[in-house]
Amino acid sequence: MTITRRTILKTGAAAAALPLLGSRAFAQGEPLKIGFIYVGTINDNGYNYAHNQGRLYVEEQLGDAVETTYVENVPEGPDCERVLRELAQQGNKLIFATSFGFGDSVIKVAQQFPDVKFEHATGYQKAENVGLYNARFYEGRAVCGTIAGHLSKTGKLAYIGSFPIPEVVMGINALALSARRINPDITVKPVYISTWNDPAKEADAARALIDQGVDVIAQHTDGPAALQVAQERGIIGGFGQGADMSAFAPETQLTAIIDNWGPHYLASAQAVIDGTWVAGDTWEGLKENVVEMGPYNEKIPAEVVADAEKVRTGQIDGSFHIFTGPIKDNTGAERVAAGVTMTDAELLSMDWYVEGVEQPA
Amino acid sequence: MQFRLEKRQEPSQLMVYATPVAAVLLTMIVGAIIFSLIGYDGIGAVREIFLTPLTNSYKWQDLGIKAAPLIIIGVGLSIAYRANVWNIGAEGQYVMGGLAGTWVALATYGMTGPWILPLMILAGVVGGALYAAIPAFFKVRLNVNEILTSLMLTYASVQLIYYLIRAPWKDPMGMGFPQTRLFSEAARLPTVIPGTIVHLGVPIAILVAFVAWFIMSRSVFGYQMKVVGAAPHAARYGGFSESKTIWLAMLVSGGLAGLAGILEVAGPFQRMVPGFPTNYGFTAIIVAFLGRLNPLGVIFAGVVMAITFVGGEVAQTTIGLPNAATGIFQAMVLFFLLAGDILVRYRLRRVSSIPASGAA
Repeated sequence: MTITRRTILKTGAAAAALPLLGSRAFAQGEPLKIGFIYVGTINDNGYNYAHNQGRLYVEEQLGDAVETTYVENVPEGPDCERVLRELAQQGNKLIFATSFGFGDSVIKVAQQFPDVKFEHATGYQKAENVGLYNARFYEGRAVCGTIAGHLSKTGKLAYIGSFPIPEVVMGINALALSARRINPDITVKPVYISTWNDPAKEADAARALIDQGVDVIAQHTDGPAALQVAQERGIIGGFGQGADMSAFAPETQLTAIIDNWGPHYLASAQAVIDGTWVAGDTWEGLKENVVEMGPYNEKIPAEVVADAEKVRTGQIDGSFHIFTGPIKDNTGAERVAAGVTMTDAELLSMDWYVEGVEQPA
Repeated sequence: MQFRLEKRQEPSQLMVYATPVAAVLLTMIVGAIIFSLIGYDGIGAVREIFLTPLTNSYKWQDLGIKAAPLIIIGVGLSIAYRANVWNIGAEGQYVMGGLAGTWVALATYGMTGPWILPLMILAGVVGGALYAAIPAFFKVRLNVNEILTSLMLTYASVQLIYYLIRAPWKDPMGMGFPQTRLFSEAARLPTVIPGTIVHLGVPIAILVAFVAWFIMSRSVFGYQMKVVGAAPHAARYGGFSESKTIWLAMLVSGGLAGLAGILEVAGPFQRMVPGFPTNYGFTAIIVAFLGRLNPLGVIFAGVVMAITFVGGEVAQTTIGLPNAATGIFQAMVLFFLLAGDILVRYRLRRVSSIPASGAA
């Protein structure tokens, strides 16, 4: 072959393309590549931060056996689909999609990459290579509600939620039920801000609620903004969500619901390495340490802490379940008969509010 | 040695086309420097953000479907902005187009027939145009600033999504989740290249841009838009009605935003979800300007913006660049473009260090 400028250019171009192809291959003995996608940023000090802590825990435990990647601020929609494909194409064999709204995309991409294992947090659509995992946040809410029931003076609690999905509705109801066990006059006002992560909206909602006489705020959004407002305004308190947020509101955070995803991520990664992974559907809580309570604020009286601890330990040993009847809904109709505990399936499709919860607009 | 800006006799045609390209190049250079200084692989960041989406053929489909809505909305906005009609609410019109099309899809749920998709698209265009008609009406009748009204209507449209998917349109099988059901097969946009995710919206976007370019450069309508925008007094003298121009500009830009909305919901989403508004309507404003308010330029600009989105994700997964970096790159493009605009009407002239008497 005569070497001309053109052939050199051609060969060069082909050589340049080679590493591109090579990096796509996945050989035995290489570390397991694990991808994570987050709906917000890892610096939110809440939900996404907690997932990222779980990722770091896997790296710490498995060292060179794994290689993890994350993509943050992924919108819930077609953008998520693209990110998932990108991760799968880059050789990630286990991918955690950590927000509810990623569900459709996970199912679609999982069909295109049957050899990649997907796990979707807080979702409901399963497939052969799509597992589900969730945490019983509501168990933590029951502890928070107990404290709120004791401490609230105005009897008005508020709950800043993202979207009215069962996961959030369940939390509102758990807070209301547990607070009303202490003080039956308590009401809970839910407000939905239609985003998981928008500090300005979270703070605005908190301000408006405090102006209406609310003195304890809970939230099911990703960051500490509402808690910071509570601290500023000096109301009785609020609760950390996802992670310990006491640094942002040292006087106001009464306790926090801490998500501890590390052990689950570790178990899944190990299962993929061992070749034993199957699409599971786990829903663990306080007992398995997937949900943990943060430190109780010093200002909480000892007997209140004791009561909160009773609720916490009761849920661990199985003697207490917040969704045990009799439970009435907010129209007064009985939904759960005395002594009956709601099933997981009922909880996971909950779309009604218990007595004492104002119907949200 | 000093430089002085000197007004050109005529706006420079060369600079009109050179500055967008220069803006992108400058963004790459400055971006590489900044990210190197703060401890990232700056060269790698630029490579992953701007080049990988182009060199990796697997990414082309992503570029296509990300650029399509930006191009369609950007074309509409460029027509409106040419006429000095500042429709900032394309996001809201995009949402209303999506909702109008969704309404057709849900009303025809379970039915089959080739008429369903065209009907949805028609509904989408009409939905977007009607929503843009509100600011047009207030502008023409009461001289209310369309920037404010169109922007504020965006927030109202998002609340309408939330209302509809929480109550009347909620998926009955969705375990209480606020979203509509998945559209039936006949209401989904077909893919045009088998084995990829490239849907019909991509060729439609290109077609829209070419048709708009033809109309803007060849028809009386296009001439009217340009004259009213550039020289309102002359236009009035020449018999072009300003109100009619406002109406046309708003309806066209709203209709195209609505078209993008329905294509997006019938293509990638295939159901209405709370995450439907993804700021395409706002990003398209950058696209319109980057494309020099020229429909063909908008194609180039839409692809550039799509590259930064897709590349931003590549950079996150390969070199761990934070997501905010994408925003910084996009902002830099706009910044350099607007800064470079001065070169269209002025030229840089070297002057001797001793200023001529009186000139200083």
